[in-house]
Amino acid sequence: MLNSTTKIPSGTSSRLADMIRATTKAVEANRDTINALNVFPVPDGDTGTNMLLTLRSVVEDLPANSTESANNVSRTLARSALLGARGNSGLILAQYFKGLAEAIGDATELTGEHFARSIRIASDNSYKALPNPVEGTMLTVYRECADIAEKSAAENDSLVSVLEDVAAEALASVRRTPELLPVLKEAKVVDSGGFGFAVMLDGALRALRGEHPVGRVLDVPMPAGKTFSGSVKADFVDASEEIDWGYCTVFAIQAEGLDLDKIRDHMDRIGRSPIVDGTEDIAKVHVHMENPGEALTVGIAYGQLSNIEIANMDDQAAGWAADRREDDRLILQTPAATPVEIAVVAVAAGDGLTDLIVSAGMGATSVVEGGDTMNPSVYDLLTAVEAAPSDKVILLPNNKNVVPAAKEVPGLSSKDVRVVTTHSVQTGVAALLEFNTSQSLNDNESAMNDVVGEVGDGRVCMASRDVTVYGHEIRKGMAFATFDDEIVAVGREPLFVLKKLIADHADDAEIITVYTGESLTPEQVSTTTETLENKFSDIEIEVVYGGQPHYEYLIAVE
Amino acid sequence: MSIAVVTDSTSDLPVDIAKQHDISVVPLNVHIEDETFLDGVTISADEMYRILPDQKVIPTTSAPSVGTYLEMYEKLSETHDEIISIHISSKLSLTYNSAVQAAAGLGSNGPRIEVVDTEQASMALGFTAVQVAEAIVGGSTLDEAVALAKSASKRAVFIGMVDTLEYLVRGGRIGKAQGFVGSILRVKPILTIREGEAHPLERVRNRKKGIARVKSLVAEYAPLEKLSILYTTDEVDAQEIANEVASYAPDGEPVVAQLGPVVGNYLGPGTLGLGFIRAEPS
Repeated sequence: MLNSTTKIPSGTSSRLADMIRATTKAVEANRDTINALNVFPVPDGDTGTNMLLTLRSVVEDLPANSTESANNVSRTLARSALLGARGNSGLILAQYFKGLAEAIGDATELTGEHFARSIRIASDNSYKALPNPVEGTMLTVYRECADIAEKSAAENDSLVSVLEDVAAEALASVRRTPELLPVLKEAKVVDSGGFGFAVMLDGALRALRGEHPVGRVLDVPMPAGKTFSGSVKADFVDASEEIDWGYCTVFAIQAEGLDLDKIRDHMDRIGRSPIVDGTEDIAKVHVHMENPGEALTVGIAYGQLSNIEIANMDDQAAGWAADRREDDRLILQTPAATPVEIAVVAVAAGDGLTDLIVSAGMGATSVVEGGDTMNPSVYDLLTAVEAAPSDKVILLPNNKNVVPAAKEVPGLSSKDVRVVTTHSVQTGVAALLEFNTSQSLNDNESAMNDVVGEVGDGRVCMASRDVTVYGHEIRKGMAFATFDDEIVAVGREPLFVLKKLIADHADDAEIITVYTGESLTPEQVSTTTETLENKFSDIEIEVVYGGQPHYEYLIAVE
Repeated sequence: MSIAVVTDSTSDLPVDIAKQHDISVVPLNVHIEDETFLDGVTISADEMYRILPDQKVIPTTSAPSVGTYLEMYEKLSETHDEIISIHISSKLSLTYNSAVQAAAGLGSNGPRIEVVDTEQASMALGFTAVQVAEAIVGGSTLDEAVALAKSASKRAVFIGMVDTLEYLVRGGRIGKAQGFVGSILRVKPILTIREGEAHPLERVRNRKKGIARVKSLVAEYAPLEKLSILYTTDEVDAQEIANEVASYAPDGEPVVAQLGPVVGNYLGPGTLGLGFIRAEPS
């Protein structure tokens, strides 16, 4: 048992690594609950999934070598977290790891004081990073945890003791978030990202104390007298994706003068989604195999193998497999060899929208799939930008939750990357219309930025649970429409709320584009077109196949 | 020395303006099924646009023959000492080539003939010819006229918002605007002529936005020495644009001109556009 003055000495990066793994297991155990705390009953960009995937990226890069010192480990963690970050919550989480690296610095001991400092740095940086920091979110939890951590560390520098105090404060802070953010109060939820962080702390503490399992289900800390009754079943994560992915095979190869590209190509021929990185002296291989032995046989030809891990992916949650599939999601729509003056990389979900965006008449060079409940990570976006056939790249995030990750890309790439902060794919399409290959990069960026905020963003979908938000009582299974993030109509049928949404803008819209989602049958699509043509014969309405998940209709009002 | 000014029918010069400036216009040919018409002479623009959308009939066009030019030059040499012949971009038509060959054909016996490739079309070409004609009346020599033709054509601009790129594509004149082809959305392309061929300028979401954009483009290119509003089938829209941008025309009266059968063959019904000459930078 650890006593209250335990310090984590250097060379125990394995202890730090264990704590990180424990945070991941904890979020895994509570992922669905964290997702269900999403205020809007739309399974889009869920906090739990985003945080989990961000953490898994960090875990992937943990050194197998346990004599690695803690300060080196934490530096790697910061970069992995940033690259693997997805969604707003993922980026804020990455701030924590950055804070940890900065707090540890060159120190060889991991103390309570380091921990306190890491949260303070994370808190300060997160507030600075957001143009409009909002109280009642993860930011508040960071800040209040930092306050308690500093007090606790001043009294007793033991890591365990500080972590205990902070873990308790995190839950208390989360419980208070509805008082700070009215929309949480109305929806009868607490902040999802904050709860996610509290869950992580619980896992880390249990690991430190040697308690098992490290990942346990936590009750949501609701304001007094209330219990959270949100759906725990992740019925919106596509359970039908039961594809046999075989074995996740990970190992390191050591030799002199390793050719990473060659190894990658080789792995690509025998398996799926190979990731090979490292240096000339040590390569880390990650590949999906039907027969894992084959990867090892191939690997051993390049050098000595170590740190071999083989996991049966059929056993793991669908989200894990889908996470791996993220690597396959990059679509290059132009022949890779054709260089262009300026490349445009856009995020989109839905085959119709994807086809439209890269079609000859629109101009995007490639699309990163931001589909299902997943927001692409910083790494996904960076990879797409690096693969683009030009040194000048315009990046369109097309989703409010992807914008923070997109903003990290220019700093990580050697290319000249400009982010046009489109909050929706509808705005992304309008921005593409402004794109002109004969204009300079600056003129294009400017013209495309002018469009941001000019396109009304309408969405129609079916509620994934009961919730009251912005004065609207929504029952699970009802259709509701939002316009620029405000709920404007609730009803039984998607077409009904669509009509209401359009009717609200019939007077001042010049043209309305309706993108139909993947859940609509051909009959429903033709009924939609006919109904809109008849009811709104005075407005120009164009109905286009979008194929997007979750939203029966996406609407652009211009 | 009296100098005759010649252009071709792709200049879309309204008849009264050509007459007013004593500009001779050589007609191109329009071929519809088995018949051949002379652009603006034996087929009118309105007739052309009635036939165009008919899928079965895809008209083609051809340059005036060398012989036609020879005739024109010979006739003009009876009344003039020199000729300046100002024509549509050689990338869009062989008209310029025919003119060059005809000029060479007259040899040293004939008048001095200078042929200019403006790298333009429609009223960008037309106004170039008008400016040259005006300068000649003001006493320019042939050499000065040629220099003016070249400089004016560089300041001349043609802009067209088409309903569809289909006509340009099937007519083989899509040029650098290829990048706009194949849009799934109902967008309206706005094109210009750059380096003698079709070039994409912008895209707009719908026709209404396109009309607004055409108007704002006038302001962006101002000040102007000449201004015309162009149309194939929508005269009312063209007139409305003209009224709104009238103050940008040097005399407050922009020319409203219908695109002729040859140019219109490649742009199609529903086209609205501009042909103007920017003022020289001071």
